[in-house]
Amino acid sequence: MNSRERVLKVFKGEQVDRVPCFSGMGNITEAAINQLGYKFAGIHLDAKMMAETAASTYKMFGLECGVVPVDLCVEAEALGCVINVYPQAEGILYPTIKEKLIHNEGEMDSVNIPADLGSRGRVPLLMEAIKLMKADIGSDVAVGSYVLGPFTLAGQIMELNDLLKLSFKKADKVAKLLDLMADAIIVVAKEYEKAGIDYITVREMGATSDVLSPRVFKNLIMPPLQKISKELKVFSVLHICGKTNDIVIPMAEAGYTAISVEQKNDVAETRKKLGPGAIIFGNYDPYNVLVSGTEDLVRSTMRKCIDDGVSAIWPGCDIWPTVPPQNMKAMMDETIKYGGKS
Amino acid sequence: MADDAKKKEIYEKLRNGVIQYDEDACKEGAQEAIDAGLDANEAIFDGLVSGMEEVGRLFEAQEYFVPEILMCADALYAGLDILKPHCKQMDLGVKGSVVIGTVEGDVHDIGKNLVKMMFDVAGFNVYDLGRDVPLDKFVEEQLKTDSELVCLSAMMTTSMVGMPKVIEKIKEKNPNCMIMIGGAPTSKELADKWGADGYAEDASNALKEAIKMVAFLKKLRDEKLKK
Repeated sequence: MNSRERVLKVFKGEQVDRVPCFSGMGNITEAAINQLGYKFAGIHLDAKMMAETAASTYKMFGLECGVVPVDLCVEAEALGCVINVYPQAEGILYPTIKEKLIHNEGEMDSVNIPADLGSRGRVPLLMEAIKLMKADIGSDVAVGSYVLGPFTLAGQIMELNDLLKLSFKKADKVAKLLDLMADAIIVVAKEYEKAGIDYITVREMGATSDVLSPRVFKNLIMPPLQKISKELKVFSVLHICGKTNDIVIPMAEAGYTAISVEQKNDVAETRKKLGPGAIIFGNYDPYNVLVSGTEDLVRSTMRKCIDDGVSAIWPGCDIWPTVPPQNMKAMMDETIKYGGKS
Repeated sequence: MADDAKKKEIYEKLRNGVIQYDEDACKEGAQEAIDAGLDANEAIFDGLVSGMEEVGRLFEAQEYFVPEILMCADALYAGLDILKPHCKQMDLGVKGSVVIGTVEGDVHDIGKNLVKMMFDVAGFNVYDLGRDVPLDKFVEEQLKTDSELVCLSAMMTTSMVGMPKVIEKIKEKNPNCMIMIGGAPTSKELADKWGADGYAEDASNALKEAIKMVAFLKKLRDEKLKK
């Protein structure tokens, strides 16, 4: 069973020889960027560089996937926001939104989705990167991509501060905007599907229970999330980081193939709540364990994830590029050794 | 001068105004405090800050979430804007100026703004650099203003890693400057490792830390007044 088969079987709910170790979020490494002779800021704007860098995590360490993009700004940019890739940065700085689309509450009503959204911004570049990566490693590993969730995307195109307050004061208005965001996300996801991805992750980290109450999550965030999942053809993952213990049941009911949670989630408890059939990915801390932890901590954390009942070893967020190669190797090695135990 | 019952009523109005995110109640309460000749500092601490302490508790108990806190903060500022011009210069025995901002690569500023609010309340000179702030800007601003406190905020792991560089540069030029880091990915271990003097991992924690700091200053003030 190769990595691709293993991951696809997990999505189908079929038996596997061991849990896979992969991600649906960014996982490029500085080790690879240096080896390829690229600069971090450059890879967001070049399909070939992006695809090569993304494929290198499998090639160098055996992580069982290939994922593009690397940053979180693709959809917002296609909608008309201006992004900053920090071209002059010496170290690693992820792109951010420099110019928002909505500047005040009044402008919320005037936002519309451009008819050619699927060919705007870097969406075509991403499609190209997916195709290149698929041609390169697509027979060995599952190829994935990600989009933002509706609330998280709304928080990029307008002031998060305003969005949060309005989600309380004027929920109807926000619901309307989120429905529109769902439409935009569906357009982009469909382009990625056309390019040949095997799975897609919807990253709705803005709606974590650190920020929004489970009640608001159910009333306001669930409808657009369900709208998106209905339209997706490939395997799908709903990812929310931060606190999620009180929303895993609605997350599981949102219509995605799998859910993804981070280290603040009590996965053993989540497994109990959702039952043996649920596909749950998680939940190690990609910075404090994988980047700054010792090899021993990496190994014990992987074992704990498996013992707690994850369906795949999967990080709580993007893997931070400065991850030490020996920790990547320890993670893969421990998954292979221990992942077939249960 | 108002009697104690009236004073209590006004402070209660300010406190509840904050808790119930009622900007109008805070404005009214603040004006009543001024009209009644009450001490503006006391109205801020025993009214507005007391309300914010309760908000922090409600957040911790997961009765309030971030949207509520933001609305409570608006209510607090509505009262503060009226009371502040009437504050006597607070002599707290510390100079009280702080440089605060979200580090480069990060455009999240909610946690930073909540901490800033508590420094505003405490009468600090706040040099708010905003968000997505180039690392050297923190160092420059600290030197320029000779602030004894620098607060660095980051919401994303992806931007947090710039923090140790700033801490190192500031400590190199000014070893006595205190540095507080905050944001979801930070931890006590990272703060220790990077040589920061304090940390707060989330908005409630930041709020609590800032309240603690401000409450401590208030205690100092009270002790001074007793003498």
